[in-house]
Amino acid sequence: MSRIISLDDLRQIAADFIRAGGLAVAPVPFDNDRVFFQYIDEEGAGKIVLSGWLKAANTIKDFFFPRHEKLFSYERIHNDVVLADAPEFGKPQLLFGCRPCEAASLPILDKVFGWDYQDRFYQSRRRMTTVVTVACHKSDDDCFCSSVGGSPENTEGSDAILYNLADGTFEVRPVTERGEQLFEGKTSESTKTGKACPPPPVRFDASKCKTWMDGHFDSPFWNEHALRCVGCGACTYLCPTCHCFDIVDEGSYAKGNRVKNWDFCQSALFTLHASGHNPRPDQGARQRQRLMHKFSIYPDKFGKILCTGCGNCTRHCPTVLGVKPFLEAIEEQED
Amino acid sequence: MEYQEYQLRETAAKLLEEEKANVVIGYGLSKTGKVVPVFITRPEDAQKLVWNSECHQNLVVFLTRPEVKRLGKPAIVVKPCDARAIVVLANESQIMRHEVYVIGMVCEGVNEDQGRPSSRCAICYGHYPQNVDQVIGEAEDAPKDLSKEERRKTGKYQRIEEIKALPPDERLAYWKREFSRCVRCYACRQSCPLCYCNRCVADKNRPARIPTSASLQGNFAWNILRAFHLAGRCVSCGACSAACPAGIDLNLINLTLANAAEEQFDHLSGTKVGALPLIGTFSESDKEDFIR
Amino acid sequence: MEKTNTDQTFEPKIIAFVCNWCTYLGADLAGTNRLEYPANIRIIRLPCTGRIDFNLVIKAFEVGADAVLVSGCHPGDCHYNAGNYHARRRWILFRELLEVLGIETERIHFSWISAAEGAKFQKFVTEIVDKTRALGPYRGYQSITHESEER
Ligand code: SF4
Ligand code: SF4
Ligand code: SF4
Ligand code: SF4
Repeated sequence: MSRIISLDDLRQIAADFIRAGGLAVAPVPFDNDRVFFQYIDEEGAGKIVLSGWLKAANTIKDFFFPRHEKLFSYERIHNDVVLADAPEFGKPQLLFGCRPCEAASLPILDKVFGWDYQDRFYQSRRRMTTVVTVACHKSDDDCFCSSVGGSPENTEGSDAILYNLADGTFEVRPVTERGEQLFEGKTSESTKTGKACPPPPVRFDASKCKTWMDGHFDSPFWNEHALRCVGCGACTYLCPTCHCFDIVDEGSYAKGNRVKNWDFCQSALFTLHASGHNPRPDQGARQRQRLMHKFSIYPDKFGKILCTGCGNCTRHCPTVLGVKPFLEAIEEQED
Repeated sequence: MEYQEYQLRETAAKLLEEEKANVVIGYGLSKTGKVVPVFITRPEDAQKLVWNSECHQNLVVFLTRPEVKRLGKPAIVVKPCDARAIVVLANESQIMRHEVYVIGMVCEGVNEDQGRPSSRCAICYGHYPQNVDQVIGEAEDAPKDLSKEERRKTGKYQRIEEIKALPPDERLAYWKREFSRCVRCYACRQSCPLCYCNRCVADKNRPARIPTSASLQGNFAWNILRAFHLAGRCVSCGACSAACPAGIDLNLINLTLANAAEEQFDHLSGTKVGALPLIGTFSESDKEDFIR
Repeated sequence: MEKTNTDQTFEPKIIAFVCNWCTYLGADLAGTNRLEYPANIRIIRLPCTGRIDFNLVIKAFEVGADAVLVSGCHPGDCHYNAGNYHARRRWILFRELLEVLGIETERIHFSWISAAEGAKFQKFVTEIVDKTRALGPYRGYQSITHESEER
């Protein structure tokens, strides 16, 4: 026996969640064939689409680790500077309709934001959020979850997973207590069960790649393969696991905010010193950094790969680069 | 197209053999069969070059990248729209024109990423490459160029007219929706052949010229800045629009300015070798009706 | 589209970017001649209209201006010979961009006011203030700033 729910009832869950004072995030179309994860209102719940697309044009990390977040504000009053902390994220949040490879980024980010320093901004959002994933019905050439330990029905990071039954209904499989609560009394019994698409073929051996990288820090390989990189932030900003940020003050002498903004390692400015020296002087060094951070440095530290194989970095790259072409090329290296 | 591809490979191999170029910047295929920029340095690799309707990227952006410059004297494969960017780069003293061998492809139009027909091709003002060192393809195969009036009737211009017809608050609401998706990845800037500044004003932080935050305020400031720094310079290659992961139709903004430059100053960027930059020069007879 | 403001207590905030050599002196002359003009205008003096970056106009709206005034020397009179011609060409294009983006161009005023035109300065500023008062606060751009704070 399985439990099923209709798309309309799913939308209703989101609408009810908002009515009860929570925030809901869901994929909503913005042009003919693309969706974007965004905060919706009760009316917007009717526009949620859970099929017909493979990947959204942004990532769910924006709702845990926002692209732009206020840390505190300052104001100069007479001769004093008055500081006010940004309020704690206090509302329950429902994240609807992400892919398994996106939800799987959450346990990875948990480690970074809760290791030596407890990042209350990330942690409060994470604590308040229920994550409902939809198992994949297809994969494309850029997907490689199966090469980094994931799958089209991976439940890591999810509170519940949905399977599209293609008749306007979804099978619900709660993963955590919180997921169970969300769907309690909302599903009906059925004999139908959902199925995810077969996993994409394994495209490289991650541990072999790590060994090669560790031994080829100074290889000309990096610059050769990074030539077509234009040095933008599309790969990192569309990556659910990339988590670099910059802290800046915005405002005037009189008042303003200290904010935390995303930053990207593929920019030459990322490591530029005030002296003018740049320890990562070319795009090869910058791509090596991204690859090694994900497949060597982070795994050494936390025992996990800093990549879920979602393929967004390749899919959204203006020149179809991202990590996958590098790893496939490393796989072919002879020494 | 297939014959063009064959000729292109022959040309590239010959250039490299005769050492007229050390690297040919062209289109090739990724492992998954997608068209990507390739950098051919050995004559035998010229076979990797491709030419088809998916060759939508503008490779001219690579002429000013330090890693590519290091490879030596470049030859580059361009579409007619891309060729105009080379003219602008030379006019703005960013490249020495004689140090680049430009291979211009006669172009029947390309698709943007993911098979979407490229919005820029509908308004193309020249399918036959100009100001290049060698043309590959036959003039007869080039679609007929649209006149200024015809161009004004096509999709993108119509869309601009539609937007202009809305009341200001609805126009603003439209762009708020669009810009709210901007994540400030700067893929638009990095893909643009004419955004070659070593340090973009958007990256200045002492003091910051515009907010670096991807807040609505920062995004408006950024997109206005980007568009206006390309006023009278943008060659309508569409690389920025195609690169934007958030699917913001940057073409609309660029075209607005290109349109104004053409209407008011009869200036079509990249069509004249040696032209002075539109902004940065002036005429005493410039006409306006709003200064009192 | 006619918008009229009915709030009598609304005091518009107007930022004026003026050049050092003509309009600023014109404003000064208005002052020394005791020609009164509304205090809603905040003058920012720059060397030349050619120096007035379009970003400054956007910045003015970001910090809550209801209107902006840009003014310099008459054509032919620029202290640096051609700064105002450069500025003129730039504004011709910039206005087109702002139009499409839906930024209300009737809130951006341009003029040429010389050092001898104190009376013109007074008259022009008074007119702008009245016009802006009628338009009401610039809620459009302010909403952008406001929504940025909220997220
Ligand atoms: S890999 Fe692609 S997306 Fe990433 S910086 Fe390079 S060009 Fe941009
Ligand atoms: S590195 Fe690329 S494939 Fe891996 S999680 Fe990030 S975007 Fe996805
Ligand atoms: S602004 Fe966009 S369309 Fe214009 S030249 Fe740059 S990349 Fe091409
Ligand atoms: S490419 Fe798109 S999302 Fe990225 S900075 Fe440009 S407009 Fe914003």
